[in-house]
Amino acid sequence: MTSAARILLVDDELSIQRTLAPLLRSRGYDVEVAGTGADALQSASEHPPDLIVLDLGLPDLEGSEVCRRIRATAKMPIIILSARGNEADKVAALDLGADDYVTKPFGPEELLARIRVWLRRIMTDDRSESGRVAVGSLTIDYDRRRLLRDDEEIRLTPKEFELLAYLARNHDRVLTHRAILKEVWGPNAVDQPEHLWVLVAQLRKKIEPDPSHPRYLLSEPWVGYRLTTEQPDAR
Amino acid sequence: MITFRAKDARDLAAAVAAVALATAAYRWLQIANPTTVALSYLLIVLVAAATSRLSVAVLTSALSVLCFNFFFLPPVGRFTIADPQNWVALLVFLAVSLVASNLSSVARARTLDALTRRDEMARLFDLSRDILLTTESRDAVQRLTSFVARRFELDYIAIAIPRGADWDIVTTGSLPIDLDRSQLALAVAGAERTLEFDARERTYSGHRTMTIDGHAVRIVPLRLGTRPIGVLAAAGRPVDPGSLDALGGIIAIAIERVQFLEERKVAERARQSEELKSALLASLGHDLRTPLTAIRVAATNLQASWLDEPERREQSQVVLAEVERLTRLFEDILEMARIDAGAVSTELQWVHPAQIVESAREQVSHAIASHEVRLTVGSETLVRLDPRLTAAGLAHLLDNAAKYSPAAQPIDVDASVAGGELVITVRDRGPGVSAADLPRLFERFYRGAQTNRVSGTGMGLSIVRGLLAVEHGRVWAENCADGGARFTIAVPVEQRSIEVTA
Repeated sequence: MTSAARILLVDDELSIQRTLAPLLRSRGYDVEVAGTGADALQSASEHPPDLIVLDLGLPDLEGSEVCRRIRATAKMPIIILSARGNEADKVAALDLGADDYVTKPFGPEELLARIRVWLRRIMTDDRSESGRVAVGSLTIDYDRRRLLRDDEEIRLTPKEFELLAYLARNHDRVLTHRAILKEVWGPNAVDQPEHLWVLVAQLRKKIEPDPSHPRYLLSEPWVGYRLTTEQPDAR
Repeated sequence: MITFRAKDARDLAAAVAAVALATAAYRWLQIANPTTVALSYLLIVLVAAATSRLSVAVLTSALSVLCFNFFFLPPVGRFTIADPQNWVALLVFLAVSLVASNLSSVARARTLDALTRRDEMARLFDLSRDILLTTESRDAVQRLTSFVARRFELDYIAIAIPRGADWDIVTTGSLPIDLDRSQLALAVAGAERTLEFDARERTYSGHRTMTIDGHAVRIVPLRLGTRPIGVLAAAGRPVDPGSLDALGGIIAIAIERVQFLEERKVAERARQSEELKSALLASLGHDLRTPLTAIRVAATNLQASWLDEPERREQSQVVLAEVERLTRLFEDILEMARIDAGAVSTELQWVHPAQIVESAREQVSHAIASHEVRLTVGSETLVRLDPRLTAAGLAHLLDNAAKYSPAAQPIDVDASVAGGELVITVRDRGPGVSAADLPRLFERFYRGAQTNRVSGTGMGLSIVRGLLAVEHGRVWAENCADGGARFTIAVPVEQRSIEVTA
């Protein structure tokens, strides 16, 4: 990327605007600020940013509605700022197109790390169904539907591979329980999270060096799962 | 035992007069047919028996027989009975009077009984209405005894309920009767053992009468279903045992109702406090997170070396403003907790109304900085109230007015003394309060539907109400005809004019 990445910061709280905007600018990003959902939508359509940081508690529009409307026309990553205890809002926003979230009160480094991951992803975006994808020491071979660790094959059941492939296609993105169930088991299974728990446990046994402390397949409590490509010590 | 009363004497006199009149009339008319005369006398006897007592009827029938014998039966003019048939006539007279008198006295006894019962039914009815109208559980048993004493015109009523080893005894009435605890225990134990219904007296078993300090005290077990929960003791006007039994039932139900009311109140309080807790958490969630996030980010920024001087100032201003916000939030929570705990007390002082407004302005000077506060004081007297509470309440109203007013719009504050109250109004130029929000505005954590744009916890106005309630004051809100909302607080005060000493 030759020019600075453009970030649209949407939050109605002046104090957040006054602190986050300088922080992001100091890291070399080009920052635009919006205080309402309407402003955010207008700004996003007039000068599409590379990434959006969106607070869920806006005065005029539900945050999830803003997500939905932006997602209808654009693909840039959306990172949600949300409050703990608002899991329902968070899940709704993720289901409607947000990619990630940070829970208030968050540390600046946490948000900056997420922004870095997502901007890196845009540059190396590969949602392709073919070829190979590497996640840490794991290599997912879509063509032959198999998984390799250091060139050694790990045998997966078809469902396990489907789950892993879906997570890998959306690596680093928080996928809600609902979204995963729908993708892997079909729309009728969305209210049966137990399928997912069992399958995730099986998959972790096979891919994680230490299944009780997962490095790749991370749980997002009450929300969903994410397959991370970051090094554990960088998080 | 025959007792003769004035009414009986009157009845007897009327009967004698009727007999004499009939005798005189038949003599004068020269009617001497014994059948006609006898039937006439019989009618008089029947009427006497039906309307008066047996003794009057018997005397009337004797007099009739004598007159009939003397004036109409041969030999006329003498008390002799020639024909044995006349003995039969005499016996018939007596028999008729006895039968008729008995019938009528039974009927009258029934009527009297019915009247008494109706009277007691009415008392029971009134009593149950008294009880149903009582929704307050405090002193409820005491009030219950006074209801019973009043409705049944009793000189003494006691409700005794066992409480562990001892008894809760609540009494009403003028008689100084000291109930014997062991007798009460015996009464309850007896009621526990047997439950029989006495159909004639219309009572369940367990009634007993004791003589205490020379008063006949009736002891009636109070039963809920079949379980005795205590006893009722009554003395004074005699009350039908059946009614006393019914009274015991009503009292038992009333006591149970009191207990239910009490339990419901406790449950209601628990529920409210649960609701408050979750509302508080939800509200705190947002109001703590935003300042904390801002402070954390600002502190990180301040650590960085890339900031120039104005930026550095800006970041530290954010920190200060957010800390102030957290402090206010913290103080609101403390204030609310103090109000809840009843830990707010008043300290009355003589002050000038303008001092209160000034103090309130000072407390929220930061929040109202961008608005002009225009103060009118329509009173030159000193008022005696708790200036701290009043000013704290007013400060919340000023803060609110500033929050909801467009920037640079003035806030009008008007203080005056009227009708023994200090009345302070705060008028803003904001959007006003929607009709739907008005009734609930002062409820804790209630936030108007249109207030999303303005940050707040919904504690402020409920704190104002709580503070003013401690001073027996009031607060209310209304919309002004030409836009904006007007909040008024009114606090009862003493007043005196300012004494200027030269």
